[in-house]
Amino acid sequence: MSVELQHPMKAEATPDEVARGRFVSGMRSLILNDLAADMRSAYERRAAPAFAKEHGAEPQTSREAHQALRGDPAFNIYSAMRVQAQKMVWASVADSVERETERLVAEAQAVSDLDGSLNLDPALDVPKNVHAIDVHLMPGSYTRGEDSLEAGAVYDRGLAVFSMGLMGANLDDIGLSMSKYIKLRYPDFAPTRILDTGCTVGHNTLPWKQAYPQAQVHAIDAAPGPLAYASARAKMQGQDVAFRQMCADDLAYEDESFDVVWSSMFLHELSKKQRAKCFDEAYRVLKPGGLLLHMELPPNDQMGAFDGFYLDWDSYYNNEPYYKGYRDERPSDLCTRAGFGESEYFDFVVPSIGIYGEKAVAEAATGDRAEGVGQETTGRLAEGVMWYGFGAWKK
Amino acid sequence: MSDQLRPEDAPPSLYDDSGNPRFFADPGMDRFVAVVMNLAQEVWVQEERLIALEEEKSGQSIDRPKIDRDAKAKEFIDRVFAPIREA
Repeated sequence: MSVELQHPMKAEATPDEVARGRFVSGMRSLILNDLAADMRSAYERRAAPAFAKEHGAEPQTSREAHQALRGDPAFNIYSAMRVQAQKMVWASVADSVERETERLVAEAQAVSDLDGSLNLDPALDVPKNVHAIDVHLMPGSYTRGEDSLEAGAVYDRGLAVFSMGLMGANLDDIGLSMSKYIKLRYPDFAPTRILDTGCTVGHNTLPWKQAYPQAQVHAIDAAPGPLAYASARAKMQGQDVAFRQMCADDLAYEDESFDVVWSSMFLHELSKKQRAKCFDEAYRVLKPGGLLLHMELPPNDQMGAFDGFYLDWDSYYNNEPYYKGYRDERPSDLCTRAGFGESEYFDFVVPSIGIYGEKAVAEAATGDRAEGVGQETTGRLAEGVMWYGFGAWKK
Repeated sequence: MSDQLRPEDAPPSLYDDSGNPRFFADPGMDRFVAVVMNLAQEVWVQEERLIALEEEKSGQSIDRPKIDRDAKAKEFIDRVFAPIREA
């Protein structure tokens, strides 16, 4: 259930640490599958009817569903256990990272001469949303250990526990599924320069290099430590990627210099103002004919009140303050406001390639691209996960 | 680390005075849930140690397939946490 990382920086964990990680993955599976189903049932049986009695109608929005559920026993137990399980994710990998600090440095050093580059910018003013809170309850956030490998190792190892095997053996299921979808849907599209924004440890950057081996792949993040780790990790996996410390809302790249600007699970970590600037910058650096593509959670306007609340939960209780604000925005508006034409916008759902296989991705790529948008499993890290994406072509 | 970044519409009543989320009427219950989970985790660690010892003793670790620890963990968690499914 817990994934073993596919590179030399994986933990040399003690049997007790392995057991702890397995337990946390198992707890998360119970919470995100079984307790989530119990909470939905409680919502339908108790919370929504009680809300209707008081307000004259059942909850219409995510916010009202949240209001209806606050105090319900099923909500309380789901939430308290989910918060603790999240803390246990990071705790389960902290000891091995601390113990292996020197080994990680040696492993990274051993591949330092391989193709690929790392450019850190010590003068960069790292934004508050990256360093001032423990994002998703991760102690020290993305800037833990400054430019050392520590934050990247905690994130990578933590994600292996967190993902319960649903993000792929190399934690790259999102990138693999999405890049495969684009390649199959647009077989004539041949990007030569690809940019990943907000890449953290580059786990969803590498699939783009694998999908388009001839392309130069660049990846940026505001936090230096995860980038240093990402660079070593990419080299260990034989992928030539240029990592550079930079903010996605202030790109140091020339106009019209990329064919693809991509991100995964990134936009919800930005304030509304930063997000709008990211789209402006992406539009600027894309070449005519270039593709903007984001994997994210589906927006609230495509979901019912309960499902919207279910995803917004993180905003209130998992230190993801911008999550709901992002999901309240319409992806098409984000694109058109930055200059992309309305008719160039599209959204889609890709079945997880690791769970459903290449054939299912191929069927999605050649079928109705909106099929599955708004389904219960879309965007949920639970059994049957599907990935939501949207983007636009620059004319 | 500051805990002051919150969604705009989050009422202060969702958090205790240290900024931690609170769910139960008695704040002690939030901590008690965490204690129960930690305790179950420690019991599971002991369980894996026992499995390893039993495998070693029976020679299972050498010439027979190892016990499926993921499946065992799921059974353990389902059994221990069965009462909360009644919420």
